[in-house]
Amino acid sequence: MKSTVDRRTFIKLTTAASGALLVGVYLQSCESDKPPAMVHTFSPLIKIDTDGWVTLIAKNPEIGQGVKTSLPMILAEELGAAWNKVKVVQADYDEIYEEQWAGGSYAIILNWDLMRTAGAKVRQVLIQAASKKMNKAVSELSTANGEVRHLKSGDALPFEALLTEATQIPLPEEVEFKPLDAFEIVGKHVPQVDLDTLVNGGMRYSIDIKLPEMVYATVLKNPVHNGGTGTWDDTATRAVNGVIDIVELNNKAYGGRLIGPNSPNFVNGIAVVANTTWAAFKGAEKLKVVWDNDGAQRESSDGLMERFRAQLDHTTVERKDGDITQAQRNAASNYEAVYEVPFLAHVPMEPMNCTVDFREDLCEVWAPTQNPEALQQGLIKLFGLQPEQIKIHLPRIGGGFGRRYYVDYAMDTAILSKKMGRPVKLTWTREEDIKHDWYRPASVHKMTASMDGNGKVSGWRHILANASRKTSLGRDGRPAGTEIDEYEFPAGFIANLQLEYGHVISDVPLGQWRAVGHSATAFAVHSFLDELAFLNKRDPIDYFLEFLGPARMVPVVDEYAFDAGRLIAVVEKVRQLSNWDSSLPKGQGRGFAARKGAGSFIAEVITVSTDKNGKVKILGVDAVVDCGVVINPSGARAQVEGAILDGLSAALYGEITVKDGATVQSNFHDYRWMRMGEMPEMRIEFIENDLPPRGLGEPPLPPAAPALANAIFAATGQRIRKLPIKNVELGT
Amino acid sequence: MPSYTLRINNVKKTVSTDPDTPLLWVLRDLLDLTGTKFGCGKGLCGACTVQYKGNPVRSCTLAISSALEGDILTIEGLSPKEDHPVQRAWVELDVPQCGYCQSGQIMEAAALLSKNENLTDNDINAAMEGHICRCGTYSRIRKAIHLAAGKLEK
Ligand code: FES
Ligand code: FES
Repeated sequence: MKSTVDRRTFIKLTTAASGALLVGVYLQSCESDKPPAMVHTFSPLIKIDTDGWVTLIAKNPEIGQGVKTSLPMILAEELGAAWNKVKVVQADYDEIYEEQWAGGSYAIILNWDLMRTAGAKVRQVLIQAASKKMNKAVSELSTANGEVRHLKSGDALPFEALLTEATQIPLPEEVEFKPLDAFEIVGKHVPQVDLDTLVNGGMRYSIDIKLPEMVYATVLKNPVHNGGTGTWDDTATRAVNGVIDIVELNNKAYGGRLIGPNSPNFVNGIAVVANTTWAAFKGAEKLKVVWDNDGAQRESSDGLMERFRAQLDHTTVERKDGDITQAQRNAASNYEAVYEVPFLAHVPMEPMNCTVDFREDLCEVWAPTQNPEALQQGLIKLFGLQPEQIKIHLPRIGGGFGRRYYVDYAMDTAILSKKMGRPVKLTWTREEDIKHDWYRPASVHKMTASMDGNGKVSGWRHILANASRKTSLGRDGRPAGTEIDEYEFPAGFIANLQLEYGHVISDVPLGQWRAVGHSATAFAVHSFLDELAFLNKRDPIDYFLEFLGPARMVPVVDEYAFDAGRLIAVVEKVRQLSNWDSSLPKGQGRGFAARKGAGSFIAEVITVSTDKNGKVKILGVDAVVDCGVVINPSGARAQVEGAILDGLSAALYGEITVKDGATVQSNFHDYRWMRMGEMPEMRIEFIENDLPPRGLGEPPLPPAAPALANAIFAATGQRIRKLPIKNVELGT
Repeated sequence: MPSYTLRINNVKKTVSTDPDTPLLWVLRDLLDLTGTKFGCGKGLCGACTVQYKGNPVRSCTLAISSALEGDILTIEGLSPKEDHPVQRAWVELDVPQCGYCQSGQIMEAAALLSKNENLTDNDINAAMEGHICRCGTYSRIRKAIHLAAGKLEK
């Protein structure tokens, strides 16, 4: 687990902006008879104007996870602003913000203390200014609803009356946080910012950017993973009305397929530039290309899975507690099962796109990126630019799920804009998106449990073999990454535990996918626990609770400890919520899984029915979540629903296959995700406590697949050891 | 290139483009009506849904030369101040996550409600089947459609 906030960031973002900025700046007023408001900048995150409007900067990319609302809510809370007088402005990429990425469910974890500190510091100077003006002791003043209040007398002064004085006062070094029970914004149902433009078509995503002189482009990439460039006939393409140019995208000229360890460059291909996106699409379709695939492995997913299975016997030990060999020898029985998960694509609704205006003095970029820093680094590496020659705007993003951690499409666009000498908007087709994703790695898991005569587990061995997202991108010289974390559950809970990794090198492009490694390991671990419960004729929840043991802090790695009590609490609660102990009609079944992720604790129960044709229907999902303080219940619930649905969709349908080196799937007809009619009823409850807020965008996803598979077992007696479920013949 | 006159959101617009150009790209690239979104280009996801003659259509597969006979309504023209009952319900229930699919969902829902206000969950599921929301906002969408139906009755 990462620590909370980097000290330097903390100082930069919570101290006053540089001297010059402190001077107020006049805003042009829309109503001409009204004098313009003067804006006072207190820190890089907070401005207040003389009309009482508070402008808060949303620093992280908004991919639908709600950070543009939730982080400003924390700032506003500590400041004591009135939420209906808050304007939220999206930041561009700027090194001052650091950690300006979206991923790993980290936004709240990394920013909770930071936002509170930044808000509290400005609150403090407003209070000091009011103290002088009102002639009241600082200790008797507080802020709320955009005012500094003196509770005893009922006197109050609005923020706007204090600005001139307040900006003269240096921001304090140390501040006190508001007590949680005094919160007025955090923890309330707050509709997200931008709702109006999200329902009237006015929101400009990156794909909607339009610049003067801009031309449109698309790409046709070599479908073979790690393939080369090609030779082509573009006669028909050039005959398409509106086609302007055809440009080769050759990564050899820019450092190859990788531009750093684990950082992918762009994929080889050909771009068509035109005066509309449609003309570019049509032109690309008409290209006749002979690709050079000399260096490529031309793999198939079946062949790769075979190699992963073979690699189970050639591993490195990633964690070793106690003595697994001894435990296996002493056990009354050893039980073994192998689980497999496929490659997955991300398919965010907004296809890959980017707009770049590559000018002599400045490379200006509008990108749907979860990782602007990687984008900046990529431009520096590819073009030898200086950081100050790069400006990256962060428009709202139509979904990320990890895909936009990689910036290949932005590199394509920069090359094109530079070549064309004008702004270029590049849009990939959905087909290119699916064929050239950085996929969730497929993997094979061999689990072995050593048990005494009562089914108590004394030894646990988990071997994972696959091509790693950390090393698959190149072939030579890099240290093997591992796909199994040393804190993978149940590390710390079992005295004799061994986690091993078998690494296979592949050309298939791999990357982060929502919940990263957990999306695969959770399926193996929590399906296996269900198997053990069945083997020992125990109720799965009873068995799991015994497996966890008493509520306590379980040391896992270094200072990272696992609060077993919090996991137990969500398990017990979901047991009630789902009526776990009640009986179900024949053909129905309930499955359970519970897990910790990104600091949060989640327990899920899924209820299914299957008909005699083997069709699974998910009747309901019950989930209990302990993520500490819930910042915005509306957004939090949405994240939980979305993550569970993602987990279920992947479990039921998600599968990318590779044949002769190329991805087989191409669009939503053969890469299926759940539709509205399949959306099960979800009952979601949050545990209320005062603990620091933790991640939520990913943790509800991993338990969904094992809970579903366990439910199918309960309903049919059929064990699912290989995802997706659509490939399994089910019948009662 | 031939030139075509379309009636979009009650305004006549003339554009020059090839006859096979999908309405989606006419809206987005030629008329800067970017509220209508590109998701798949093959009629598989619903992101590009607009109304043509009052019916929901996938603008990514509707050639401009086939869209000349009737009114085209896009998300930008649904209501002057995002106060269509569907939009109000969407706001009230805080439906969007990333929001990218929502223009298409709203245009489909508005067309559905204009024909039938007494909707069961199954009616809604059937009508919305062609729309993917990758963020998983389905349950809020369904609730919002019921809510909007209630607003219409009043
Ligand atoms: S973009 Fe038209 S249906 Fe997907
Ligand atoms: S809200 Fe993101 S795709 Fe629907």
